[in-house]
Amino acid sequence: MRKKIIPYLLVSPYLIYFLVFMAFPVGFSFFLTFTNWNIISPIEYAGLSNYKRLVNDAVFWKSLLNTFIFLIIHIPLQIIVSLFLAELLNQKIRLRGFFRAAFFLPVIVSGVVVTIIWQQLYGFDSGLLNRLLIKIGFSKVGWLTDPNLAMPSIAIMATWKNVGLYIVLFLVGLQTVPPQFYEAAELEGATHMQKFFKITLPIINPTIFMVVVLSTIGGFSLFIEPYVMTGGGPMNSTMSAVLYIYKQGFFYYHMGYAATLGLFFALLILAVVIIQKKFVERD
Amino acid sequence: MKSIRLISFIFSFMILVSCSSKVEKRRDEIIYWSSNNTEEIEFAKYVVNKWNQINKNQKVKFQPVPEGQSSEEVILAAVVGKTTPDIYSNMWEGDVESYARAGVLVALDTLEGFMNFLYERCDSSVIKEVTSPDGHIYQIPWKINPVMMIYNVNEFRNLGFLEPPKTYSEFLEAAKKFQRDVNGDGYVDRWIGYAEVVVTWWQRLFDFYPLYLAASNGAPLVKNNKAVFNNEAAKKVFDFLRKLYKNNYFPKERLSVRQDVFLDGIIATRFTGPWEIPHTEKFKPEGFNYNFTNMLVPDNHEGPVYTYGDPKNIVIFKKCPNPNLALRFLMFALDEENDLKFLEITNQLPHRKNLDTNPKYLSYFSRNPKMKIFASEVKYVKGTDQSPQLREVFDLISQEYEACVIYGKKTPEEALNDAEKAVNLLFIK
Repeated sequence: MRKKIIPYLLVSPYLIYFLVFMAFPVGFSFFLTFTNWNIISPIEYAGLSNYKRLVNDAVFWKSLLNTFIFLIIHIPLQIIVSLFLAELLNQKIRLRGFFRAAFFLPVIVSGVVVTIIWQQLYGFDSGLLNRLLIKIGFSKVGWLTDPNLAMPSIAIMATWKNVGLYIVLFLVGLQTVPPQFYEAAELEGATHMQKFFKITLPIINPTIFMVVVLSTIGGFSLFIEPYVMTGGGPMNSTMSAVLYIYKQGFFYYHMGYAATLGLFFALLILAVVIIQKKFVERD
Repeated sequence: MKSIRLISFIFSFMILVSCSSKVEKRRDEIIYWSSNNTEEIEFAKYVVNKWNQINKNQKVKFQPVPEGQSSEEVILAAVVGKTTPDIYSNMWEGDVESYARAGVLVALDTLEGFMNFLYERCDSSVIKEVTSPDGHIYQIPWKINPVMMIYNVNEFRNLGFLEPPKTYSEFLEAAKKFQRDVNGDGYVDRWIGYAEVVVTWWQRLFDFYPLYLAASNGAPLVKNNKAVFNNEAAKKVFDFLRKLYKNNYFPKERLSVRQDVFLDGIIATRFTGPWEIPHTEKFKPEGFNYNFTNMLVPDNHEGPVYTYGDPKNIVIFKKCPNPNLALRFLMFALDEENDLKFLEITNQLPHRKNLDTNPKYLSYFSRNPKMKIFASEVKYVKGTDQSPQLREVFDLISQEYEACVIYGKKTPEEALNDAEKAVNLLFIK
């Protein structure tokens, strides 16, 4: 009897943690999708009305589209910039340590702080970027006020913030490339570009894929940047899915509907992750 | 020895648990929260002291609403945590219905003497406005700040206007004349007016909504769980505002981060309330001449000009141990005499009928003629519809407002159709 109980006792701390902080919230969220609950009123059964609303909610679909637009801009930009800088920092240059530290610094700075700084840079009237544009004879640009530019502006900022992390990952990847390969290629008369595309890229392919996966996860959870910088505007052009779920839950207190959106979004991410996993297995 | 330790541990634990168990003490006093605006605190202190001196055995304890990001959030947290006051005197009319449906407010019409008091204080249209769809009344109309248009008298005279513009056409004509690139850098830097371009829902209470009420003779936005704002009046308002932004008569940039652009002559008008008077009086440059006029209306408008009154009302929470006593205190705090004191201390208007003709207040209005303009507007003031979804209704309208008015990406018809569809989705059962 004692032998049977002891293993359960040993796993019980985690089991309790799992039940209280994971299983119950997930189960309760699923239950909420069939209710109308605004925190202060009693929970009312609402059938499938939240799901009907989701299907017809243009803003939610726009927020999903925005999230994908962000990913489409952010991921290639992230890879190109960080790989280019990693390649430079992999050379024997002066002050290499300083540059590596400088590029990594934004990663450890609070997201809100970075966002506020960039908000100042992007300011229409007195932002540094527009002042520079006027100085060199161009017109002001609505970095955060033009619906077509706001999301790319946020993507640029997010790239700047995270580039240091991916530089480190690429540096690790670049250092796995055996130097003999480059030497052999040089003997064959290969150019720098040929060496990069024919040797470096194929060898660091797993690193690139890891960066894609990490950027995708980060992109799906886009929240702080639009929340602080634009509030999801202009014209919902920077409304990310997570921000919209937050808005429904903690601004309007539509807990049932927010749970429905959250569940749908979680299933969508799961689908994307499964597709990515298939690619990895194929590789 | 071990068992003694165990028994003493259990005993200590039980004592601790019994100490922490909450026993709600019977309270004899009424707890009253006011807003945390300085003048309102001063008035609340005055009226509570006055009451407590007369009613020594039925005291009211006053405190301003605890600090938080917004008083609405503090009240919500208090409702969730069951730590509400008995009386709260700064409830936005649009929030009352959701609290009423949550069952946390006292139906005041069930209390003795309330309806007589209400009919004495308000006219039937106001009573109809504050009546919940369930037929009960959960709020006492307390104060209003009608939204009107402040204008720079001298600037309009310079443009050749002896009277302020009243219609959209007149305003657009004035706007064209007033617009200027003062410093010659190629950018317009003087506009006829300004409204916040941010999409935040409550900003629409100070531009679209009062203009809509003016154009529609006080029509509702939602009725019987259905959007009813997709009408000719709303189209005209969207179209008018759209022209203002399209022609750069209103700036798209945020001017609210600068010094007062109205006093600096950068803009010549603003949609605002009576709170503008003490501010303008305090900071106006020498020779600055200003006045107030009604909200603008479409060219073919007939009848009175309605506006939004930004009403803040008083509620009694169900937690109150003695709702009848709370009501007696409120009937005292809102009597004619104390309303006069409220006017004098806060420069805000009590929401009572015949405010501009009541002899009690004539002396105040003769000393404050600009306040009288607002008082005369009281009978044409509207609050909000009684709907628990009102914030989101305004938010959805605001999103379409941004698309149509600010960015010109949609026609007024498209924007209002989309807003109507989105609002009706809120009421899906």
